[in-house]
Amino acid sequence: MKRFLRLLSAERVKIANIQIWLLVLLSPILAVLIGFEIDVSNDIGLWERLLLEMGMAHGLLFLPILSGLFAAFICRYEHSGGGWKQLLVLPVSRSSVYMAKFTVIAVLLAITQILFLAGVFLVGWMKGVATPIPWEFMMRSFFGGWVACLPLAALQLAVSVMWNSFAAPLALNVVFTIPNMLVINSERIGPYYPWAQPLLSMLPNSHSFGAFNLALSNLMIVVLGSFIVFFIAGWIAFRLKEV
Amino acid sequence: MMSELVIQTRNLNKRYRGRSAVSNLNLEIAKGEIYGFLGPNGAGKTTTIRMLLGLIRPTEGSVQIFGKDLNKEKLNILRRVGSLVEYPSYYGHLTAVQNLETVRRILDVPRSRIDEVLDIVSLTKESKRAVKGYSLGMKQRLGIASALLGNPELLILDEPTNGLDPAGIQEIRELIREMPQRHGITVLVSSHLLGEIEQMASTVGIIREGEMVFQNTIQNLKDRASEGIRIVVSEPEEAIRVAMDQGFEGTMQQGMLQFPNLNDAQVALLVKRLVDSSHDVYRVEEKKKSLEDIFLQVIGEGGIS
Repeated sequence: MKRFLRLLSAERVKIANIQIWLLVLLSPILAVLIGFEIDVSNDIGLWERLLLEMGMAHGLLFLPILSGLFAAFICRYEHSGGGWKQLLVLPVSRSSVYMAKFTVIAVLLAITQILFLAGVFLVGWMKGVATPIPWEFMMRSFFGGWVACLPLAALQLAVSVMWNSFAAPLALNVVFTIPNMLVINSERIGPYYPWAQPLLSMLPNSHSFGAFNLALSNLMIVVLGSFIVFFIAGWIAFRLKEV
Repeated sequence: MMSELVIQTRNLNKRYRGRSAVSNLNLEIAKGEIYGFLGPNGAGKTTTIRMLLGLIRPTEGSVQIFGKDLNKEKLNILRRVGSLVEYPSYYGHLTAVQNLETVRRILDVPRSRIDEVLDIVSLTKESKRAVKGYSLGMKQRLGIASALLGNPELLILDEPTNGLDPAGIQEIRELIREMPQRHGITVLVSSHLLGEIEQMASTVGIIREGEMVFQNTIQNLKDRASEGIRIVVSEPEEAIRVAMDQGFEGTMQQGMLQFPNLNDAQVALLVKRLVDSSHDVYRVEEKKKSLEDIFLQVIGEGGIS
Protein backbone atom coordinates (compact mmCIF):
# COMPACT_ATOMS: atom_id res chain seq x y z
CA MET A 1 0.00 0.00 0.00
CA LYS A 2 2.82 2.37 0.89
CA ARG A 3 4.48 1.61 -2.42
CA PHE A 4 1.22 2.24 -4.24
CA LEU A 5 0.81 5.64 -2.59
CA ARG A 6 4.36 6.57 -3.48
CA LEU A 7 3.71 5.63 -7.10
CA LEU A 8 0.54 7.66 -7.07
CA SER A 9 2.34 10.73 -5.81
CA ALA A 10 4.97 10.24 -8.54
CA GLU A 11 2.20 10.08 -11.15
CA ARG A 12 0.83 13.32 -9.78
CA VAL A 13 4.11 15.09 -10.60
CA LYS A 14 3.97 13.75 -14.15
CA ILE A 15 0.54 15.16 -14.95
CA ALA A 16 1.60 18.69 -14.16
CA ASN A 17 0.86 19.22 -17.83
CA ILE A 18 -1.29 21.99 -19.19
CA GLN A 19 -2.72 19.78 -21.97
CA ILE A 20 -4.32 17.37 -19.55
CA TRP A 21 -6.04 20.17 -17.66
CA LEU A 22 -7.29 21.69 -20.90
CA LEU A 23 -8.86 18.31 -21.69
CA VAL A 24 -10.47 18.22 -18.26
CA LEU A 25 -11.95 21.70 -18.79
CA LEU A 26 -13.05 21.23 -22.41
CA SER A 27 -16.32 19.39 -21.96
CA PRO A 28 -17.63 21.32 -18.93
CA ILE A 29 -16.97 24.62 -20.74
CA LEU A 30 -18.82 23.43 -23.85
CA ALA A 31 -21.68 22.26 -21.65
CA VAL A 32 -21.93 25.69 -20.07
CA LEU A 33 -22.02 27.33 -23.52
CA ILE A 34 -24.83 24.98 -24.52
CA GLY A 35 -26.56 25.70 -21.21
CA PHE A 36 -26.76 29.42 -21.89
CA GLU A 37 -28.90 28.72 -24.97
CA ILE A 38 -31.51 26.81 -23.00
CA ASP A 39 -34.89 28.46 -22.67
CA VAL A 40 -35.90 28.57 -19.00
CA SER A 41 -39.30 30.30 -19.32
CA ASN A 42 -41.10 27.07 -18.42
CA ASP A 43 -39.73 26.21 -14.99
CA ILE A 44 -41.13 22.73 -14.47
CA GLY A 45 -38.26 20.27 -13.82
CA LEU A 46 -35.81 22.94 -14.81
CA TRP A 47 -32.73 21.42 -13.19
CA GLU A 48 -33.46 18.08 -14.83
CA ARG A 49 -33.82 19.80 -18.17
CA LEU A 50 -30.57 21.70 -17.74
CA LEU A 51 -28.73 18.50 -16.91
CA LEU A 52 -30.31 16.61 -19.78
CA GLU A 53 -29.56 19.17 -22.43
CA MET A 54 -26.13 20.13 -21.17
CA GLY A 55 -25.25 16.48 -20.58
CA MET A 56 -26.14 15.18 -24.02
CA ALA A 57 -22.86 15.95 -25.78
CA HIS A 58 -20.92 15.42 -22.56
CA GLY A 59 -22.24 11.91 -21.94
CA LEU A 60 -22.65 10.85 -25.54
CA LEU A 61 -19.27 11.93 -26.88
CA PHE A 62 -16.95 13.59 -24.43
CA LEU A 63 -16.98 11.20 -21.50
CA PRO A 64 -16.26 8.09 -23.61
CA ILE A 65 -13.60 9.87 -25.63
CA LEU A 66 -11.99 11.47 -22.58
CA SER A 67 -11.75 8.05 -20.93
CA GLY A 68 -9.54 7.03 -23.82
CA LEU A 69 -7.65 10.31 -24.05
CA PHE A 70 -6.69 10.28 -20.38
CA ALA A 71 -5.52 6.67 -20.64
CA ALA A 72 -3.45 7.50 -23.70
CA PHE A 73 -2.02 10.63 -22.09
CA ILE A 74 -0.82 9.02 -18.90
CA CYS A 75 0.90 6.23 -20.84
CA ARG A 76 2.31 8.59 -23.42
CA TYR A 77 5.68 9.25 -21.84
CA GLU A 78 6.14 5.61 -20.97
CA HIS A 79 5.54 4.71 -24.61
CA SER A 80 7.99 7.18 -26.06
CA GLY A 81 11.52 5.84 -25.83
CA GLY A 82 12.20 3.55 -22.92
CA GLY A 83 9.73 5.02 -20.47
CA TRP A 84 8.23 1.72 -19.32
CA LYS A 85 11.74 0.41 -18.76
CA GLN A 86 12.67 3.47 -16.73
CA LEU A 87 9.63 3.04 -14.55
CA LEU A 88 9.72 -0.74 -14.16
CA VAL A 89 13.40 -1.00 -13.17
CA LEU A 90 12.42 0.90 -10.04
CA PRO A 91 11.32 -1.13 -7.04
CA VAL A 92 7.66 -1.19 -8.03
CA SER A 93 5.40 -4.10 -8.79
CA ARG A 94 3.64 -4.14 -12.12
CA SER A 95 0.30 -4.45 -10.39
CA SER A 96 0.79 -1.30 -8.38
CA VAL A 97 1.93 0.59 -11.49
CA TYR A 98 -1.23 -0.55 -13.27
CA MET A 99 -3.43 0.39 -10.33
CA ALA A 100 -1.75 3.79 -10.00
CA LYS A 101 -2.26 4.55 -13.70
CA PHE A 102 -5.87 3.50 -13.49
CA THR A 103 -6.44 5.57 -10.37
CA VAL A 104 -5.10 8.67 -12.12
CA ILE A 105 -7.54 8.17 -15.02
CA ALA A 106 -10.43 7.64 -12.60
CA VAL A 107 -9.54 10.79 -10.67
CA LEU A 108 -9.28 12.87 -13.85
CA LEU A 109 -12.71 11.61 -14.93
CA ALA A 110 -14.12 12.44 -11.51
CA ILE A 111 -12.75 15.97 -11.75
CA THR A 112 -14.33 16.31 -15.19
CA GLN A 113 -17.67 15.22 -13.72
CA ILE A 114 -17.39 17.64 -10.81
CA LEU A 115 -16.64 20.49 -13.19
CA PHE A 116 -19.56 19.50 -15.38
CA LEU A 117 -21.90 19.50 -12.41
CA ALA A 118 -20.48 22.84 -11.32
CA GLY A 119 -21.26 24.05 -14.84
CA VAL A 120 -24.89 22.98 -14.47
CA PHE A 121 -25.15 24.85 -11.17
CA LEU A 122 -23.49 27.88 -12.69
CA VAL A 123 -25.93 28.04 -15.59
CA GLY A 124 -28.88 27.50 -13.26
CA TRP A 125 -27.70 30.24 -10.94
CA MET A 126 -27.04 32.71 -13.74
CA LYS A 127 -30.42 32.05 -15.27
CA GLY A 128 -31.99 32.54 -11.87
CA VAL A 129 -33.60 29.12 -11.56
CA ALA A 130 -35.66 29.36 -8.39
CA THR A 131 -36.61 25.73 -7.75
CA PRO A 132 -34.45 23.91 -5.18
CA ILE A 133 -31.63 21.75 -6.48
CA PRO A 134 -32.68 18.08 -6.70
CA TRP A 135 -29.54 16.78 -4.99
CA GLU A 136 -30.28 13.09 -5.11
CA PHE A 137 -30.94 13.26 -8.81
CA MET A 138 -27.80 15.27 -9.43
CA MET A 139 -25.59 12.97 -7.40
CA ARG A 140 -26.97 9.89 -9.10
CA SER A 141 -26.17 11.43 -12.44
CA PHE A 142 -22.69 12.44 -11.32
CA PHE A 143 -21.75 9.02 -9.94
CA GLY A 144 -23.60 7.08 -12.64
CA GLY A 145 -21.69 8.85 -15.41
CA TRP A 146 -18.39 8.46 -13.60
CA VAL A 147 -18.77 4.77 -12.83
CA ALA A 148 -19.93 4.03 -16.37
CA CYS A 149 -16.68 5.53 -17.68
CA LEU A 150 -14.49 3.20 -15.65
CA PRO A 151 -14.90 0.14 -17.93
CA LEU A 152 -13.92 2.30 -20.91
CA ALA A 153 -10.94 3.65 -18.99
CA ALA A 154 -9.95 0.08 -18.10
CA LEU A 155 -10.21 -1.04 -21.72
CA GLN A 156 -8.25 1.96 -22.93
CA LEU A 157 -5.55 1.42 -20.35
CA ALA A 158 -5.40 -2.23 -21.39
CA VAL A 159 -4.91 -1.44 -25.07
CA SER A 160 -2.59 1.43 -24.25
CA VAL A 161 -0.20 -0.85 -22.40
CA MET A 162 -0.57 -3.64 -24.95
CA TRP A 163 -0.11 -1.69 -28.16
CA ASN A 164 2.81 0.56 -27.31
CA SER A 165 1.26 3.38 -29.24
CA PHE A 166 -0.34 6.69 -28.42
CA ALA A 167 -2.66 7.06 -31.38
CA ALA A 168 -3.97 3.57 -32.05
CA PRO A 169 -5.97 3.12 -28.81
CA LEU A 170 -7.42 6.58 -29.30
CA ALA A 171 -8.57 5.77 -32.80
CA LEU A 172 -10.14 2.56 -31.52
CA ASN A 173 -12.00 4.48 -28.85
CA VAL A 174 -13.36 7.07 -31.27
CA VAL A 175 -14.45 4.34 -33.68
CA PHE A 176 -16.52 2.75 -30.93
CA THR A 177 -17.87 6.04 -29.60
CA ILE A 178 -19.26 7.39 -32.87
CA PRO A 179 -22.01 4.71 -33.21
CA ASN A 180 -23.32 5.87 -29.82
CA MET A 181 -25.77 8.19 -31.52
CA LEU A 182 -27.50 5.23 -33.13
CA VAL A 183 -26.94 2.76 -30.34
CA ILE A 184 -28.73 4.77 -27.63
CA ASN A 185 -31.89 4.63 -29.68
CA SER A 186 -31.82 0.88 -29.80
CA GLU A 187 -33.58 -0.99 -27.03
CA ARG A 188 -31.71 -4.16 -27.88
CA ILE A 189 -28.07 -3.07 -28.22
CA GLY A 190 -28.06 0.10 -26.12
CA PRO A 191 -28.14 -1.55 -22.71
CA TYR A 192 -25.11 -3.74 -23.53
CA TYR A 193 -22.92 -1.30 -25.44
CA PRO A 194 -20.17 -0.08 -23.07
CA TRP A 195 -19.62 3.22 -24.85
CA ALA A 196 -23.27 4.16 -24.46
CA GLN A 197 -23.30 3.60 -20.70
CA PRO A 198 -21.95 7.01 -19.57
CA LEU A 199 -24.87 8.80 -21.19
CA LEU A 200 -27.45 6.19 -20.18
CA SER A 201 -26.27 6.30 -16.57
CA MET A 202 -26.16 10.07 -16.42
CA LEU A 203 -29.53 10.92 -17.79
CA PRO A 204 -32.79 10.42 -15.97
CA ASN A 205 -34.73 7.39 -17.10
CA SER A 206 -37.89 9.37 -17.50
CA HIS A 207 -37.62 9.04 -21.24
CA SER A 208 -39.44 6.18 -22.74
CA PHE A 209 -37.61 5.79 -26.01
CA GLY A 210 -34.70 3.59 -27.02
CA ALA A 211 -32.39 2.35 -24.31
CA PHE A 212 -33.15 5.16 -21.88
CA ASN A 213 -35.93 3.33 -20.15
CA LEU A 214 -33.72 1.13 -18.03
CA ALA A 215 -33.41 0.42 -14.36
CA LEU A 216 -30.20 1.60 -12.73
CA SER A 217 -29.42 -1.90 -11.47
CA ASN A 218 -29.53 -3.19 -15.02
CA LEU A 219 -27.06 -0.55 -16.15
CA MET A 220 -24.73 -1.26 -13.30
CA ILE A 221 -24.59 -4.99 -14.08
CA VAL A 222 -23.42 -4.19 -17.62
CA VAL A 223 -20.99 -1.58 -16.33
CA LEU A 224 -19.58 -3.78 -13.60
CA GLY A 225 -19.33 -6.82 -15.87
CA SER A 226 -17.47 -5.01 -18.62
CA PHE A 227 -15.27 -3.29 -16.05
CA ILE A 228 -14.12 -6.58 -14.54
CA VAL A 229 -13.41 -8.13 -17.93
CA PHE A 230 -11.46 -5.14 -19.29
CA PHE A 231 -9.60 -4.41 -16.10
CA ILE A 232 -8.42 -7.95 -15.49
CA ALA A 233 -7.46 -8.44 -19.14
CA GLY A 234 -5.33 -5.28 -19.05
CA TRP A 235 -3.83 -6.11 -15.71
CA ILE A 236 -2.74 -9.59 -16.81
CA ALA A 237 -1.42 -8.26 -20.12
CA PHE A 238 0.64 -5.67 -18.28
CA ARG A 239 2.07 -8.21 -15.86
CA LEU A 240 3.21 -10.40 -18.76
CA LYS A 241 4.39 -7.53 -20.96
CA GLU A 242 7.95 -7.84 -22.19
CA VAL A 243 9.52 -4.46 -21.63
CA MET B 1 38.84 -17.85 -3.16
CA MET B 2 36.78 -15.63 -5.41
CA SER B 3 35.62 -12.32 -4.03
CA GLU B 4 31.93 -11.84 -3.35
CA LEU B 5 29.78 -11.98 -6.47
CA VAL B 6 27.25 -9.21 -7.01
CA ILE B 7 25.73 -10.68 -10.15
CA GLN B 8 25.72 -14.34 -11.02
CA THR B 9 23.64 -15.92 -13.76
CA ARG B 10 23.38 -19.63 -14.34
CA ASN B 11 22.67 -20.98 -17.79
CA LEU B 12 20.64 -17.97 -18.71
CA ASN B 13 18.62 -18.49 -21.88
CA LYS B 14 16.20 -16.33 -23.81
CA ARG B 15 14.50 -17.60 -26.92
CA TYR B 16 12.05 -15.78 -29.13
CA ARG B 17 9.96 -18.18 -31.21
CA GLY B 18 12.75 -20.71 -31.38
CA ARG B 19 15.41 -18.13 -32.18
CA SER B 20 17.95 -17.97 -29.43
CA ALA B 21 18.82 -14.43 -28.30
CA VAL B 22 20.88 -15.43 -25.29
CA SER B 23 22.13 -18.93 -24.62
CA ASN B 24 23.69 -20.54 -21.54
CA LEU B 25 25.08 -17.30 -20.24
CA ASN B 26 27.05 -17.50 -17.01
CA LEU B 27 27.79 -13.97 -15.98
CA GLU B 28 29.94 -13.41 -12.92
CA ILE B 29 30.51 -9.93 -11.59
CA ALA B 30 32.50 -9.38 -8.41
CA LYS B 31 31.88 -6.66 -5.88
CA GLY B 32 33.64 -3.35 -6.50
CA GLU B 33 34.65 -3.95 -10.07
CA ILE B 34 33.74 -2.28 -13.33
CA TYR B 35 32.59 -5.05 -15.60
CA GLY B 36 32.63 -4.30 -19.29
CA PHE B 37 29.97 -6.20 -21.19
CA LEU B 38 31.17 -6.22 -24.74
CA GLY B 39 29.79 -7.45 -28.01
CA PRO B 40 28.63 -6.32 -31.43
CA ASN B 41 25.16 -4.82 -31.81
CA GLY B 42 22.52 -7.50 -31.66
CA ALA B 43 24.72 -9.95 -29.74
CA GLY B 44 22.31 -10.09 -26.81
CA LYS B 45 23.69 -7.46 -24.44
CA THR B 46 20.47 -5.53 -23.97
CA THR B 47 18.43 -8.73 -23.78
CA THR B 48 20.71 -9.94 -20.99
CA ILE B 49 20.47 -6.64 -19.14
CA ARG B 50 16.69 -6.66 -19.42
CA MET B 51 16.69 -10.09 -17.81
CA LEU B 52 19.00 -8.86 -15.04
CA LEU B 53 16.51 -6.10 -14.26
CA GLY B 54 13.42 -8.28 -14.39
CA LEU B 55 12.00 -6.49 -17.43
CA ILE B 56 11.72 -9.77 -19.30
CA ARG B 57 11.67 -13.32 -18.02
CA PRO B 58 14.42 -15.75 -18.96
CA THR B 59 13.26 -18.80 -20.93
CA GLU B 60 15.61 -20.84 -18.77
CA GLY B 61 18.21 -20.29 -16.09
CA SER B 62 18.44 -18.09 -13.04
CA VAL B 63 19.70 -14.66 -12.04
CA GLN B 64 21.21 -14.02 -8.65
CA ILE B 65 21.95 -10.47 -7.54
CA PHE B 66 23.50 -9.76 -4.14
CA GLY B 67 23.27 -13.53 -3.63
CA LYS B 68 19.47 -13.45 -3.87
CA ASP B 69 17.21 -14.94 -6.49
CA LEU B 70 15.82 -12.20 -8.72
CA ASN B 71 12.61 -14.11 -9.24
CA LYS B 72 11.83 -14.25 -5.54
CA GLU B 73 13.14 -10.94 -4.23
CA LYS B 74 12.80 -8.68 -7.22
CA LEU B 75 11.66 -5.51 -5.46
CA ASN B 76 14.27 -5.77 -2.68
CA ILE B 77 16.99 -6.28 -5.26
CA LEU B 78 15.81 -3.49 -7.56
CA ARG B 79 15.81 -1.09 -4.61
CA ARG B 80 19.59 -1.54 -4.44
CA VAL B 81 20.22 -1.30 -8.19
CA GLY B 82 20.43 1.81 -10.36
CA SER B 83 20.11 1.41 -14.09
CA LEU B 84 20.04 3.07 -17.45
CA VAL B 85 18.67 0.91 -20.26
CA GLU B 86 19.16 2.15 -23.82
CA TYR B 87 18.11 5.72 -24.44
CA PRO B 88 16.57 7.21 -21.33
CA SER B 89 13.25 8.94 -21.83
CA TYR B 90 11.90 11.75 -19.75
CA TYR B 91 8.86 13.83 -19.21
CA GLY B 92 9.96 16.58 -21.56
CA HIS B 93 7.67 19.22 -20.06
CA LEU B 94 9.26 18.72 -16.63
CA THR B 95 12.61 20.06 -15.46
CA ALA B 96 15.48 17.81 -14.39
CA VAL B 97 14.54 18.31 -10.75
CA GLN B 98 10.89 17.41 -11.42
CA ASN B 99 11.88 14.35 -13.42
CA LEU B 100 14.08 13.18 -10.57
CA GLU B 101 11.27 13.99 -8.16
CA THR B 102 9.02 11.40 -9.84
CA VAL B 103 11.71 8.79 -9.19
CA ARG B 104 12.50 10.11 -5.70
CA ARG B 105 8.92 9.71 -4.57
CA ILE B 106 9.01 6.05 -5.53
CA LEU B 107 12.40 5.39 -3.94
CA ASP B 108 11.54 7.43 -0.86
CA VAL B 109 14.94 9.09 -0.39
CA PRO B 110 15.39 12.58 1.10
CA ARG B 111 14.87 15.52 -1.21
CA SER B 112 18.48 16.65 -0.70
CA ARG B 113 19.58 13.56 -2.65
CA ILE B 114 18.34 15.20 -5.87
CA ASP B 115 20.86 18.04 -5.47
CA GLU B 116 23.60 15.54 -4.66
CA VAL B 117 23.10 13.45 -7.80
CA LEU B 118 22.73 16.53 -9.99
CA ASP B 119 26.05 17.69 -8.59
CA ILE B 120 27.71 14.33 -9.31
CA VAL B 121 26.71 14.53 -12.98
CA SER B 122 27.32 18.33 -13.14
CA LEU B 123 23.79 19.28 -14.09
CA THR B 124 23.11 21.63 -11.18
CA LYS B 125 23.15 24.74 -13.36
CA GLU B 126 20.69 23.31 -15.88
CA SER B 127 18.40 21.68 -13.36
CA LYS B 128 15.56 24.20 -13.60
CA ARG B 129 15.16 23.89 -17.37
CA ALA B 130 12.58 21.72 -19.13
CA VAL B 131 14.30 18.52 -20.22
CA LYS B 132 13.04 18.70 -23.80
CA GLY B 133 15.71 21.33 -24.48
CA TYR B 134 18.55 19.12 -23.27
CA SER B 135 21.31 17.78 -25.51
CA LEU B 136 21.74 14.02 -25.79
CA GLY B 137 24.74 14.14 -23.48
CA MET B 138 22.81 16.04 -20.84
CA LYS B 139 19.93 13.58 -21.08
CA GLN B 140 22.37 10.73 -20.67
CA ARG B 141 23.86 12.39 -17.58
CA LEU B 142 20.39 12.94 -16.18
CA GLY B 143 19.80 9.22 -16.74
CA ILE B 144 22.86 8.43 -14.66
CA ALA B 145 21.73 10.90 -12.00
CA SER B 146 18.40 9.12 -11.88
CA ALA B 147 20.17 5.76 -11.59
CA LEU B 148 22.23 7.08 -8.67
CA LEU B 149 19.28 8.58 -6.83
CA GLY B 150 18.55 5.60 -4.62
CA ASN B 151 22.18 5.20 -3.42
CA PRO B 152 22.55 1.94 -5.37
CA GLU B 153 25.19 -0.69 -4.66
CA LEU B 154 25.09 -1.83 -8.27
CA LEU B 155 24.87 0.30 -11.37
CA ILE B 156 23.78 -1.26 -14.67
CA LEU B 157 24.41 0.97 -17.67
CA ASP B 158 23.46 -0.15 -21.16
CA GLU B 159 25.52 1.62 -23.83
CA PRO B 160 25.74 4.84 -21.80
CA THR B 161 27.96 6.57 -24.36
CA ASN B 162 25.97 5.63 -27.44
CA GLY B 163 25.40 8.61 -29.70
CA LEU B 164 27.53 11.01 -27.68
CA ASP B 165 30.28 13.24 -29.04
CA PRO B 166 33.88 12.63 -27.90
CA ALA B 167 33.65 15.20 -25.09
CA GLY B 168 30.42 13.64 -23.84
CA ILE B 169 31.94 10.17 -24.00
CA GLN B 170 34.91 11.39 -21.98
CA GLU B 171 32.63 12.87 -19.30
CA ILE B 172 30.55 9.74 -18.91
CA ARG B 173 33.68 7.60 -18.82
CA GLU B 174 35.21 9.62 -16.00
CA LEU B 175 31.93 9.50 -14.15
CA ILE B 176 31.79 5.71 -14.37
CA ARG B 177 35.42 5.27 -13.49
CA GLU B 178 35.05 6.96 -10.15
CA MET B 179 32.01 4.93 -9.06
CA PRO B 180 33.83 2.04 -7.33
CA GLN B 181 36.37 4.10 -5.38
CA ARG B 182 34.35 7.20 -4.55
CA HIS B 183 30.93 5.69 -4.07
CA GLY B 184 31.62 2.00 -3.50
CA ILE B 185 29.40 1.02 -6.40
CA THR B 186 29.87 -2.06 -8.59
CA VAL B 187 29.29 -1.23 -12.24
CA LEU B 188 28.13 -3.27 -15.22
CA VAL B 189 28.58 -1.26 -18.38
CA SER B 190 27.84 -2.52 -21.86
CA SER B 191 29.28 -1.31 -25.13
CA HIS B 192 29.98 -2.48 -28.64
CA LEU B 193 33.31 -0.64 -28.66
CA LEU B 194 36.33 -2.27 -27.09
CA GLY B 195 38.19 1.05 -26.82
CA GLU B 196 35.36 2.28 -24.63
CA ILE B 197 35.46 -0.64 -22.24
CA GLU B 198 39.24 -0.93 -22.20
CA GLN B 199 39.52 2.50 -20.60
CA MET B 200 37.06 1.86 -17.79
CA ALA B 201 36.66 -1.81 -17.06
CA SER B 202 38.69 -4.13 -14.87
CA THR B 203 36.92 -7.24 -16.15
CA VAL B 204 35.38 -7.95 -19.52
CA GLY B 205 32.74 -10.33 -20.71
CA ILE B 206 32.51 -10.68 -24.45
CA ILE B 207 29.26 -11.92 -25.92
CA ARG B 208 28.75 -13.09 -29.46
CA GLU B 209 25.46 -14.33 -30.90
CA GLY B 210 24.08 -14.73 -27.42
CA GLU B 211 26.99 -16.76 -26.09
CA MET B 212 29.73 -15.72 -23.73
CA VAL B 213 33.01 -16.27 -25.54
CA PHE B 214 35.39 -14.63 -23.08
CA GLN B 215 35.11 -13.61 -19.45
CA ASN B 216 38.19 -12.58 -17.54
CA THR B 217 40.24 -9.58 -16.51
CA ILE B 218 41.18 -7.01 -19.09
CA GLN B 219 44.82 -7.83 -18.23
CA ASN B 220 44.23 -11.46 -19.15
CA LEU B 221 42.82 -10.33 -22.48
CA LYS B 222 45.89 -8.17 -23.02
CA ASP B 223 48.22 -11.06 -22.15
CA ARG B 224 46.64 -13.02 -24.92
CA ALA B 225 47.78 -10.32 -27.27
CA SER B 226 51.33 -11.73 -27.20
CA GLU B 227 52.19 -13.73 -30.26
CA GLY B 228 55.65 -14.69 -29.11
CA ILE B 229 59.20 -13.44 -28.77
CA ARG B 230 61.36 -12.33 -31.66
CA ILE B 231 65.14 -12.28 -31.33
CA VAL B 232 67.57 -10.67 -33.78
CA VAL B 233 71.13 -12.01 -33.66
CA SER B 234 74.33 -11.85 -35.69
CA GLU B 235 74.26 -15.42 -37.10
CA PRO B 236 70.66 -16.62 -37.10
CA GLU B 237 71.23 -20.06 -38.69
CA GLU B 238 73.70 -21.14 -36.05
CA ALA B 239 71.70 -19.46 -33.31
CA ILE B 240 68.54 -21.38 -34.11
CA ARG B 241 70.53 -24.63 -33.80
CA VAL B 242 71.80 -23.55 -30.39
CA ALA B 243 68.24 -22.81 -29.32
CA MET B 244 66.88 -26.10 -30.64
CA ASP B 245 69.66 -27.98 -28.78
CA GLN B 246 68.41 -26.32 -25.58
CA GLY B 247 64.89 -27.53 -26.28
CA PHE B 248 63.35 -24.24 -27.50
CA GLU B 249 60.82 -24.69 -30.27
CA GLY B 250 61.67 -21.90 -32.64
CA THR B 251 61.64 -21.00 -36.30
CA MET B 252 63.60 -18.62 -38.46
CA GLN B 253 61.73 -16.01 -40.41
CA GLN B 254 63.34 -13.23 -42.45
CA GLY B 255 66.61 -13.68 -40.62
CA MET B 256 64.99 -13.41 -37.19
CA LEU B 257 64.37 -16.10 -34.57
CA GLN B 258 60.72 -16.60 -33.59
CA PHE B 259 59.55 -18.32 -30.43
CA PRO B 260 55.93 -18.70 -29.45
CA ASN B 261 54.84 -18.32 -25.84
CA LEU B 262 58.02 -17.94 -23.81
CA ASN B 263 57.78 -16.85 -20.23
CA ASP B 264 60.26 -14.39 -18.68
CA ALA B 265 62.56 -17.10 -17.26
CA GLN B 266 62.69 -18.90 -20.58
CA VAL B 267 63.57 -15.70 -22.42
CA ALA B 268 66.37 -14.97 -19.93
CA LEU B 269 67.75 -18.50 -20.25
CA LEU B 270 67.65 -18.44 -24.04
CA VAL B 271 69.45 -15.11 -24.23
CA LYS B 272 72.08 -16.33 -21.77
CA ARG B 273 72.74 -19.47 -23.85
CA LEU B 274 73.03 -17.43 -27.03
CA VAL B 275 75.47 -15.03 -25.42
CA ASP B 276 77.43 -17.92 -23.92
CA SER B 277 77.90 -19.38 -27.41
CA SER B 278 79.26 -16.03 -28.56
CA HIS B 279 76.25 -14.75 -30.49
CA ASP B 280 75.64 -11.04 -30.59
CA VAL B 281 72.06 -10.38 -29.51
CA TYR B 282 70.83 -7.18 -31.12
CA ARG B 283 67.18 -7.12 -30.14
CA VAL B 284 64.70 -9.13 -28.07
CA GLU B 285 61.15 -8.07 -28.78
CA GLU B 286 57.64 -9.19 -28.03
CA LYS B 287 55.38 -9.40 -31.03
CA LYS B 288 51.92 -8.12 -30.12
CA LYS B 289 48.52 -8.08 -31.67
CA SER B 290 46.41 -5.08 -30.85
CA LEU B 291 43.56 -5.58 -28.41
CA GLU B 292 41.22 -4.70 -31.24
CA ASP B 293 42.65 -7.59 -33.29
CA ILE B 294 41.92 -9.96 -30.43
CA PHE B 295 38.43 -8.62 -29.95
CA LEU B 296 37.69 -9.07 -33.63
CA GLN B 297 39.20 -12.55 -33.48
CA VAL B 298 37.05 -13.42 -30.48
CA ILE B 299 33.80 -12.17 -31.92
CA GLY B 300 34.70 -13.52 -35.34
CA GLU B 301 35.58 -17.05 -34.33
CA GLY B 302 33.74 -17.37 -31.07
CA GLY B 303 36.65 -18.00 -28.75
CA ILE B 304 40.31 -17.54 -28.04
CA SER B 305 42.55 -20.41 -29.02
